[in-house]
Amino acid sequence: MSTMTLTLVIAAILAGLAGILGVRSIVTERKRTRWTILLMLVSFGLQLIWLGKRGEMRASCPLLDSGEILVFLAWSISLFYLIVGSAYRITLLGMFSAPLVMVMLLIAKIPGMLDDNPVKQTNVDYWGEMHSAISVLSYGALALGAVSAVMFLVLDRLLKTRDTSSGLFKKMPPLDTIVGSVVRLTIIGLSFLSIGLACGFMMRIHGGPHFLVAIVVWLAYLLLLGIWFVRGMTPKKMSVFVVVLFFASLSVFVVL
Amino acid sequence: MNLFCLGLNHETAPLEVREKFSIPMEHLGQRSYQLTTLDGVREAVVISTCNRMEVYVAAEDDKLSDAESSVKKNLGFEVNDTAHFYNCRSVEAMKHLCRVVSGLDSMVLGETEIFGQVKKAYQYALEATATGGVLNKVFQKSFGVGKKVRTETTIQNGQTSVGSVALDLAEKIFSDLKDSTVMVIGAGEMSRITVQSMVLRGVKKVYVTNRSHDKAVALANEVGGEAVRFNDWSKVLATVDVVISSTGSTEPVVRASDIEAVRKKRKYRPLFMIDIAVPRDIEHGVGEIEEVYLYDLDTLQKQVDEGHARRKAQVRECEKIIDAEVLKIANQQNNHV
Repeated sequence: MSTMTLTLVIAAILAGLAGILGVRSIVTERKRTRWTILLMLVSFGLQLIWLGKRGEMRASCPLLDSGEILVFLAWSISLFYLIVGSAYRITLLGMFSAPLVMVMLLIAKIPGMLDDNPVKQTNVDYWGEMHSAISVLSYGALALGAVSAVMFLVLDRLLKTRDTSSGLFKKMPPLDTIVGSVVRLTIIGLSFLSIGLACGFMMRIHGGPHFLVAIVVWLAYLLLLGIWFVRGMTPKKMSVFVVVLFFASLSVFVVL
Repeated sequence: MNLFCLGLNHETAPLEVREKFSIPMEHLGQRSYQLTTLDGVREAVVISTCNRMEVYVAAEDDKLSDAESSVKKNLGFEVNDTAHFYNCRSVEAMKHLCRVVSGLDSMVLGETEIFGQVKKAYQYALEATATGGVLNKVFQKSFGVGKKVRTETTIQNGQTSVGSVALDLAEKIFSDLKDSTVMVIGAGEMSRITVQSMVLRGVKKVYVTNRSHDKAVALANEVGGEAVRFNDWSKVLATVDVVISSTGSTEPVVRASDIEAVRKKRKYRPLFMIDIAVPRDIEHGVGEIEEVYLYDLDTLQKQVDEGHARRKAQVRECEKIIDAEVLKIANQQNNHV
């Protein structure tokens, strides 16, 4: 096993462990563990090392095959989890996002996802690099927003069905804290997406279905936040839209 | 040197007997010191709460019985009181103290207030120079055991009153109640207790409405809120986050249409509704509105029962910790206590 593969596998295992610790703290109803954040931090560091090495191989931003996009996205989710999870004391977000990171890293290792011999780029369009990196970063925030939205839907269901004695219910952060993080992450995601899109328009070659889909995604998020702030919307509807929109927005990668 | 404990609590004595032996908090140090002046008594700590009065005494081995008699006499102990008092010595006394500190001997199993009360009583005795080598060690060790019991078991998990369950749920929805507005419909006792616990958590504003406006004004004054005429409560509904309803009405007071009418104005913010009235005040359909979380008395009571059951299930674990820790302490002291 090469050092690169080992780095990625260890990063995936650590993310998986963080998820298991989160679940364990719920089942045993013990105090929340800080190990989740620590493990995610180390996993994040390893992902960063992997991306750095891959970038050196490419001599450009490592976003040129499906595997690299997945690792970059996992890194971006880890980054926003470490910022949002610790800042807003939503450590339970780790239990929901860590398995996602692990799965993404493992999928990236499926044969065919990563170029075995990445070609060194000679004619790099820096606006294109910026567009790819910032857009994938925005997807990290939007993905974590979707994870928070799932958390909201779980807590909403528990409250509605009066199932309030489970360990999961007790460990969940308050409803308004989750809604706050869904909205904040969507705003952050949309902001990065706007910058990414602007960079895209500065590229030497732009247009085509990828850009069309990207604009539609950007407009959809803008409309969602507009309705939330101006007209108002039930937090449940907002959460459902954030999850659906995130999965729908992944289509932007299909038309690359 | 040996140790004994003499005391009564809510299980052994009725209120009038507990009242007779009750000692105000500010006199605990002085009373502890008084006991040390008695024949055979070397050290003493008096604990007095609304549910218990206990005396812990360290005395010379050969003067233990004399010390006990003089303490009883000093407390105003009469023959009729014998049945209400319990008495334990040495390791058993220590075990009892650990149980008390851990909340296992409390009316509300696992409650935490007793820990602070015992600590305060010991502090008063310490300041009054009523304690020495034996009781200092025993009390400090018991605090350690109490902390261990609370951290290693879930004895304090689960709420044990309707008010605290409602409060926990409100905080699960709104995190900080300091930004929340509460409306109380019906100024009865249950409403008062529930809203008071929320006021203690610093709710931003309280509206009180009642068919008899005078009662609404009285409760509003008591909790620092604002009284609203009963016909006007729906006008403030758009601004509130929590509704506590407990009227004597036989018909629903709050209907789904009342909530539907203000949803847009509320921008579909979550609304927590607590219906503690029997028959229920809030129409069932209200709970089906997406952003409304409706809890009635039965649901809340069920959680109270679950809380009690969960705590009871932890008692055996707590006892194991106490037994092991007391044995450790007793071994350390080479059976001096």
